Amino acid sequence: MRFALLLLASAATYAETIFIQNATVYTVTKGTFKGSVLIEDGKIKQVGQNLAAPSGARIVDAAGMHLSPGIIDAHSHIAAGAGGINEGSVSVSSMVRIEDFVDPESVAIYRALAGGVTSANILHGSANAIGGQNRLIKMRWGKTGVEMLFDGGPPSIKFALGENPKRSGNPTPAPGGPTTVARYPATRMGVEDIYRQAFTEAKEYQKAWVDFKSGKSTVEPRRDLRLEPLVEIMEGKRLVHCHAYRGDEMLMMMRVAEEFGFRIATFQHVQEGYKIAKEMVEHGVGGSGFSDWWAYKMEVVDGIPYNMALMTSKGVMAAVNSDDAGLMRRLNTEAAKTMKYGGLTEDQALALITINPARHMKVDDRIGSIEVGKDADLVIWNKPPLSSYAVPQKVYIDGSLYFDRDTDVSSRIAKEARKKALEEKAKAQQIPPQPKKDSAPQGGPQSDEVR
Amino acid sequence: MKFANLLFLAAPIFAQEAFVLRNVTIHPVTAPEIAGGSISVANGKIVEYGAKVAAAKNVKVIDGKGLHVYPGMINCATLMGISEVTSVRESNDTNEIGEFVPQVRAVIAFNPDSEHVPVTRVNGITSVVTMPASLTEGRGAGGAAQSILRGQAAVVHMDGWNWEDMGINRNAGLLMRFPQIVTARVSAFEGATAAAIPFADAKKIYDAELKKVDNFFDAARRYQTAKLAKAADFKPNVQYEAMLPLLEGKAPLLVPAERERTIREVIAFAKKQKVKLILLDVQKPGKSIDLIKENNIPVVVGKPTNLPLDEDDPYDAAYSLPGQLYKAGIKFAFGTYDNQFARNLPFEAAFAVAYGLPYEAAMKALTIDAAEIFGVGNVTGSLDKGKSADFVVTDGDPLEVKTQVKMLFINGKNVALDNRQTRLYEKYNSRK
Amino acid sequence: MKQFLLFISLAMFSLAQTPVTVAIRNAKLVTISGPVIAKGTVVLRNGLIEEASENATVPDGAWVIEGDGLTVYPGLIDSISNIGIAPPAPTGPVTGAITATALAPPAPPARGPEDRPRTTSWERAADKFRSNDPRIESARNAGFTSAVIFPTTGIFAGQGAVVNLAGDNPSKMIIESPAGQYMTLTGGGGAGGARGFPSSGMGVYAYVRQIFIDLDYYERTKAAYQANPSGKQRPAYDRALEGVKESGRLLMPATSKVEMERVIKLASELKMPFVLYGVHEGYRAASVLKQANASVLISAKWPTRPPTADPEAEEPLRTLELRESAASTPVTLNKEGVKFAFYSDGQTPAEFLKGVRLAVTRGLSHDDAVKAMTLSAAEIHGVSNRLGSIEKGKIANLVVTKGDLLTEKPAIQYVFVDGMHYVPTADGAPTPTAPQGTGRRPR
Repeated sequence: MRFALLLLASAATYAETIFIQNATVYTVTKGTFKGSVLIEDGKIKQVGQNLAAPSGARIVDAAGMHLSPGIIDAHSHIAAGAGGINEGSVSVSSMVRIEDFVDPESVAIYRALAGGVTSANILHGSANAIGGQNRLIKMRWGKTGVEMLFDGGPPSIKFALGENPKRSGNPTPAPGGPTTVARYPATRMGVEDIYRQAFTEAKEYQKAWVDFKSGKSTVEPRRDLRLEPLVEIMEGKRLVHCHAYRGDEMLMMMRVAEEFGFRIATFQHVQEGYKIAKEMVEHGVGGSGFSDWWAYKMEVVDGIPYNMALMTSKGVMAAVNSDDAGLMRRLNTEAAKTMKYGGLTEDQALALITINPARHMKVDDRIGSIEVGKDADLVIWNKPPLSSYAVPQKVYIDGSLYFDRDTDVSSRIAKEARKKALEEKAKAQQIPPQPKKDSAPQGGPQSDEVR
Repeated sequence: MKFANLLFLAAPIFAQEAFVLRNVTIHPVTAPEIAGGSISVANGKIVEYGAKVAAAKNVKVIDGKGLHVYPGMINCATLMGISEVTSVRESNDTNEIGEFVPQVRAVIAFNPDSEHVPVTRVNGITSVVTMPASLTEGRGAGGAAQSILRGQAAVVHMDGWNWEDMGINRNAGLLMRFPQIVTARVSAFEGATAAAIPFADAKKIYDAELKKVDNFFDAARRYQTAKLAKAADFKPNVQYEAMLPLLEGKAPLLVPAERERTIREVIAFAKKQKVKLILLDVQKPGKSIDLIKENNIPVVVGKPTNLPLDEDDPYDAAYSLPGQLYKAGIKFAFGTYDNQFARNLPFEAAFAVAYGLPYEAAMKALTIDAAEIFGVGNVTGSLDKGKSADFVVTDGDPLEVKTQVKMLFINGKNVALDNRQTRLYEKYNSRK
Repeated sequence: MKQFLLFISLAMFSLAQTPVTVAIRNAKLVTISGPVIAKGTVVLRNGLIEEASENATVPDGAWVIEGDGLTVYPGLIDSISNIGIAPPAPTGPVTGAITATALAPPAPPARGPEDRPRTTSWERAADKFRSNDPRIESARNAGFTSAVIFPTTGIFAGQGAVVNLAGDNPSKMIIESPAGQYMTLTGGGGAGGARGFPSSGMGVYAYVRQIFIDLDYYERTKAAYQANPSGKQRPAYDRALEGVKESGRLLMPATSKVEMERVIKLASELKMPFVLYGVHEGYRAASVLKQANASVLISAKWPTRPPTADPEAEEPLRTLELRESAASTPVTLNKEGVKFAFYSDGQTPAEFLKGVRLAVTRGLSHDDAVKAMTLSAAEIHGVSNRLGSIEKGKIANLVVTKGDLLTEKPAIQYVFVDGMHYVPTADGAPTPTAPQGTGRRPR
């Protein structure tokens, strides 16, 4: 209603026509060539080697530069910290929504933008087997939380397997800390059980509504925000992105999903995806993970940097993600590692951070490649995007310029000056700490009471 | 396949065997590059390199057509050999108990069969500094004070049979956690943290801790004097004995110091105690850059890929810091402060280059500067005659991620490029 | 101790005079609801304002106060307070404070919304209110004649009450109950589940949503059952839902612009009137609040750098900007036409008024500032037909000063509550309040 209107209003403001010319264009899906891209109404209008700039368009000369689609991070937890990321108190927290807490003023958004990221799926944490509802955002720095939300694609939810959900149930008490009540489950066996229990309950809930709506039952069920998303999952309306490391647990997850008639959209981290690539292909699940993380806990001892290349060569739709505000800023070099480890081509490597994550989230009709009709989410780099030395120069979202390195650098002096002025003013106003008088009680409301 | 071939190639060459690598572009780092050059190795040492290299008859010749040779790189901050799986306590020998344990030595806990060794070295890292503690500044999780003098770091070759033949500088410095003034962070948006400690109180704790450190150093110095004087009542003491290399200026103090105040205080402390100093994990030196330069203190810079420490810092603050240190004339090297990402050392340096550090300076920081800072400049870090034959042969710029390492030599041994990860790759690649 | 307090309260109310008809003649009347009457008369009888105008007749036998040089204001209202229902906030750092709840045996952790965690929506401030809180007198001495008091612990903390700040019978001091539901929206422990659901901000939001879904379902089910109970299963009584329903208005916290947007979005789903409280970053959010047609309660405890902070600790520009501009929120909202009132946020009356005066130095007019502690407060809390202005028929709560009320040392001459005259203190000056810089937690 009101927010939808706001969104429309903002959509109307990006109407500038932009012609980016003389760039090396990495379309990802349709090859790489020297050419131009025309942006109109926030969309890619034309892409080609011999385009002419229409009159009235703003010309951006990218001679010597490289143009890629905006990077998509399929696994991030930035800009939602105020919401807690994890609702870890229960094993099924499907009622909670990252969307409620998207913080448009988190500097992590800007930093990721400066690394060429234009979209990110902000995921619930991995403390519990069935986590909360994720939210895909665009990094529209300067806009409101609602305006950050990606307007399209199916909703999704986080699942988590292995050490995290079971560890949350068996926390190691801090010395002297409060005693904690153990939360089921404590093993991988129990994690599987959580899914069986939850979806059995959700099936009952689904049936109750069907019966009520068809008139078979006159008892109106109580709406349950926890079970509704689970029904959506079974009905194929909500994607499951499942945190998982080991092959065995992923296999379990696929079988449980099949038992309840749905498919897992992606395994996140998927460090042992290479071990079960065949089964993943059969199930139709994507694999979205780190390029080279390993050894930080027991379940990633078999994490190998060849994972992406192996999954790709065996037919799994693979993607590289960050799960980290720092790493998020350099997903291009993370993707390049798959060329080093396993020999993916440049296009294959780029796809891991653009079109493939878009496919995982079923938004590849909108983002992930430089194609006519898609959102004009683009990055201009000074070097080939998979080079270690590539620095994003300009980043566009919906055809609007959201990051410009020159502007960033030139605005630093003014920002520092403003900060300095405020700091000095604050210092001048700060009441100096009063010297402590020995055990003299301070005044305040207490003195009122004593009087 | 790939790895197997390399293995085959590697097999006939023994560590002590002499060989000549021909037809390579040599990047000595300390001298201009030489196209179509050769490098000759005997007894694990470099005999010479150049456009024309004379080779004795019957010396093995390796053709490196199209390939590039660089000195092996040194990762100046790792937990190599003493930490295997971060979250599994039993696989970690990183943090000893006790406030002052200068006598404990990382080198003797080095597990030569740690899987991190072969995984890390295949990216051209031929030596590492392994630290006897995790390297975060300040207090550990939970607020409990960790040990202050934490033990001795070591420079270790990334190939060998055991720590005796791998350790090339067994006492590369004494790692210290410098006391910190810790007050809780207060956000104007979220109100005060309940546990906020007033600055004055935090300062008192800090002063007391620092006093304790000074007392320990003073006691160690009295021990030194008594020992030199062969005093009648002199009693040997393992703890103080371990302080002697530091007090004699033979080993430096290694201190993580992220920010300006810590750096300032650490430098003042080192001057007062007259000890050599290497600053670690420098991230936001601010005005202390001048102080570092004035006192000629070498630095192991914080990871360039770190996030900026504060919200208002420029987004590229960490990327661009090595460039700033270089401009200020400060000698520095790189480290990854962990094992998991130790292999990414050259890519860390690449970010510094992308954001302003000259390429040549980055290469020096990865090799010769690192070696000199940690006292092994006469052993490794360049291709100069007589040094250990530690070099890497690639198909291109080692700072570019996609570059492949084709051969790796440590102590003149052609080291196999396989590891657990390549074996898992081979195994599951063969699954139909 | 109890006896001691009793003694104090008796002593206090002995200062009140027997009710008589009062006429304040030829005074400046700052009516707030209408234009200032430069020279007018206000007549108080039976606890009510009988008349207030230029030509009001002075009834026979009335106590006449010659108002030359005097200014009459409506009595001030503290829009959120715990006066009379909680001990004064402790001074100094709260480190290690042991509260009564910490000593109570812990409740088992909640497993979901169905356990109604951190909810006491049925509790009424009116039922807990006691008249012997010594803060009542110090507030009154500073010109505060009413307060809106709330239980403040929990997601649905409980129902507020508008109370008059004079009297010895709590029941007679209550003006309105319930007056809104006080809410907090902060999460708990995060990943660890030890303290039960909800452990996160997201969980709190989900819980609030489920409560309103349940409320709707509850009411329909209950109505259907009551219409025809025969053959139907009896719906369970749910005090949490009853409590939320009764309160009629939600007070929801929001300090930053982002929080305001977030809370407004949530509140707009709930179909119950809402009021935001906190609102320090309102200077950036005037249009957001205006668009949402939101009324707000502004904490007059402006953020400051704690004097005990590390002098070298760098603070984000956002924090510095907030500190610089928070006190400009009232004037900004006033220009945009957003309705707002002030609350003390745990400060002493003197600190509270000092905070309000800072807002005046940022451009808010004196009388608009008074309005934010009188009529606007009454409007926001739904009692403007009784309180908040000098109008015929309203409750006779007045403050009479020499000169402006919002000065550093206001010369308060008379305070009337329910038409009763209270003598501030023997020398006519307000009760001395706490020295500056104490009693506040650092921000």
